[in-house]
Amino acid sequence: MSLERWPQILREITGIAGVRGALIVSTDDGLVIAESAMESVPTSDVAALTSALVSRARKTAHAAHGAAPRTVHLTASEGTLLAMAGPDPLWLVALADPHVELGRLRVLLGDFAVSLA
Amino acid sequence: MNEVSSSASSRPQGLAFLELGERLRQRGQYEAAATVANAGLVHYPALADAHDLLGRIRSDQGQDASAISAWRAALECDPGHVGALKGLAFLSFRGRDFATAERYLEQASRESPHDLTLLSALDKVRSARPASAPEAPPQLADLSSGLLLFDGQGMRLTGGIGPGSSADVADAAAAEGAGLVREAGRVTRLLGLGAWQHLLVEGADFRLAAIPVTAEAFLLVSRPSSMPAGRLMATATRAGLAARDWLERMT
Amino acid sequence: MRVLEPWVTEPLVEFVRESSARVVLVMTSSGQVIAQHGFTRSLDVMAAAALGAGILATTGELARVMQSPSEFGAVVHQGEREGVWLGGFDTPRGRWIALAVFGRESSVGLVRLFFQRFAAQVAAAAPPPVAVREVLAEGFERELDDSLRALFGKV
Repeated sequence: MSLERWPQILREITGIAGVRGALIVSTDDGLVIAESAMESVPTSDVAALTSALVSRARKTAHAAHGAAPRTVHLTASEGTLLAMAGPDPLWLVALADPHVELGRLRVLLGDFAVSLA
Repeated sequence: MNEVSSSASSRPQGLAFLELGERLRQRGQYEAAATVANAGLVHYPALADAHDLLGRIRSDQGQDASAISAWRAALECDPGHVGALKGLAFLSFRGRDFATAERYLEQASRESPHDLTLLSALDKVRSARPASAPEAPPQLADLSSGLLLFDGQGMRLTGGIGPGSSADVADAAAAEGAGLVREAGRVTRLLGLGAWQHLLVEGADFRLAAIPVTAEAFLLVSRPSSMPAGRLMATATRAGLAARDWLERMT
Repeated sequence: MRVLEPWVTEPLVEFVRESSARVVLVMTSSGQVIAQHGFTRSLDVMAAAALGAGILATTGELARVMQSPSEFGAVVHQGEREGVWLGGFDTPRGRWIALAVFGRESSVGLVRLFFQRFAAQVAAAAPPPVAVREVLAEGFERELDDSLRALFGKV
């Protein structure tokens, strides 16, 4: 996929009701590669913290199953964070309200994450 | 709306009648909705969506037999129609025929594997099954249970990662799991997401769910990826209750 | 961890813990050391402080030459196994610099995130500035020795 498509992908994700922001994150360095988000979303912080979470998830998955994770999904009382692996080291991340259409978001993120290559 | 309704019921334009019928159903105007659906079926007798619409209308009206007929007609047109399968599952569930409801939902889930509402419904149906066929209660103390209870310092309290895994693997997973749940807490705190409730980590052939059991104890549930995510979360919730009981007995 | 200004301790402890930085050095923009974590030799501290201040001064000058509307806030060197973060921040005591060495257990993003919090906390905790007296060469050397003694116990 060409890089020009990335903003379009991110806009499609943020088009889902309840999604506050979508980012492409480099989990190697915890930095934002591309983003589409509400102004209130601290995208740099989201990238850094998601990368740290993915790193921890990798270690846990490796210890338990000797395999790498492809999806990390954190649910909290006031929001949800969903991250799906793209071509290494990129991850596609969405930050959303608790009432977001989760099924649709998972499917869309999964489809787009693999197409980032 | 009346003008549109009259126009649509007498001469459906394409498939617009489906949307109109559904709107009327949602407003509780069941007879008007049924008129629209039936008029549409005259033009499109092999359209599964139209039979499905009629099924929903009749179900809302409490006319279960008519609803079943409509949904069966939908399945004759399209054997994998998810809406009709859901509808028949719902009526079976309402009639306390849990096995049939489960069968319909499983079929719907195969047709639409990413639909989490189906997985959630499946879990609800399974949890409502009578005690004659209960799911095995969580065996926390078993290394092969796939239920790992650990504390915030990464010490294993009980359980293991799953069949064939050793105590060493469970200890290592507990040690790393503590870092994972600490990170989950930090993410939610710094991003203002409130208290974290569960964390799902999925790989090509496994799924892991982590949940807080108490402020100091956490549960990691490990299952193969064949278990749907929604069902895993329901399993984790139930196992969390069992883990809390276990902790209370131990202290 | 050794700290010359006690009010820097708490923000620094949090920064080290949250960013997982292996080595941290806090200094003034002229290279005077305020606090250190992870260094074992005084010579390393002096060299790192001088080099860090020099690098940031150089990039600041580079920004000026390039007519950049704002000076560069931070410089990152990313190595194979470790990275170095060098960032400047304003405090009531003037402009300070933090140097952090981090490994694979952390990331640039994480260090950046907690560096920003550290800078804000230091700025908020700083007591009002005191009048700066002229420092003679011999006085400077003695103060440097005193600082290093405080940072390492003995020199």
